[in-house]
Amino acid sequence: MTESATSTTDWLTKRRRYKRLMYGSLWVGIIGLLVGTYLDQYLAGVVVYWAGFFGMIGVWQFSPVALYDERDTAIEQKASDYTLGVFAFVLVLGGPGGIALEEGGILTLPPAFGGAMWALVAVYAIFGVIYTLLRRRG
Amino acid sequence: MKNTLCDHRDRTDESQADLAAAVGVSRQSINAIERGRYDPSLELAFKLAAHYECAIEELFDPELDD
Repeated sequence: MTESATSTTDWLTKRRRYKRLMYGSLWVGIIGLLVGTYLDQYLAGVVVYWAGFFGMIGVWQFSPVALYDERDTAIEQKASDYTLGVFAFVLVLGGPGGIALEEGGILTLPPAFGGAMWALVAVYAIFGVIYTLLRRRG
Repeated sequence: MKNTLCDHRDRTDESQADLAAAVGVSRQSINAIERGRYDPSLELAFKLAAHYECAIEELFDPELDD
């Protein structure tokens, strides 16, 4: 194998290995949380979940090879934009619409509806703050 | 954006994986760039041009309207 082919293979192998480690850590955390919940060991489950989550972050940030490239970031950004768009429609149409239907006696909304709408308001409020800060920073 | 990445790669007998490893992106990203489905950032475009020791304009054609 040529030197170039060897270094390509090494790079690909490393990338694959660290990605597996990253997602493996997250899965261990998730499974730990589920097992802890099932066994009524909630605290242990949460600790394992957080360890798995922060392990994933650690691998992602400190791996010697980049695990995601600019195209991955661009796709993630687009997906975030679309997701925010979908939930914007849910909030703008669903919130006032649901209230109007309930006040008109047409519908009885479940108690969780209000909480869900306020959660979306909080999401967009945070989005607005972060957007403003980033815009000011140029 | 039109590009001649595939031609340059053929000339140097590189695979998409080789080129991807050389400039630090995934093979899928190189594939997407060659098929015109993804436009690289300026930084990546410069890396690709440096890899082939040519000007960016030889690799990418922005297809600007006159």
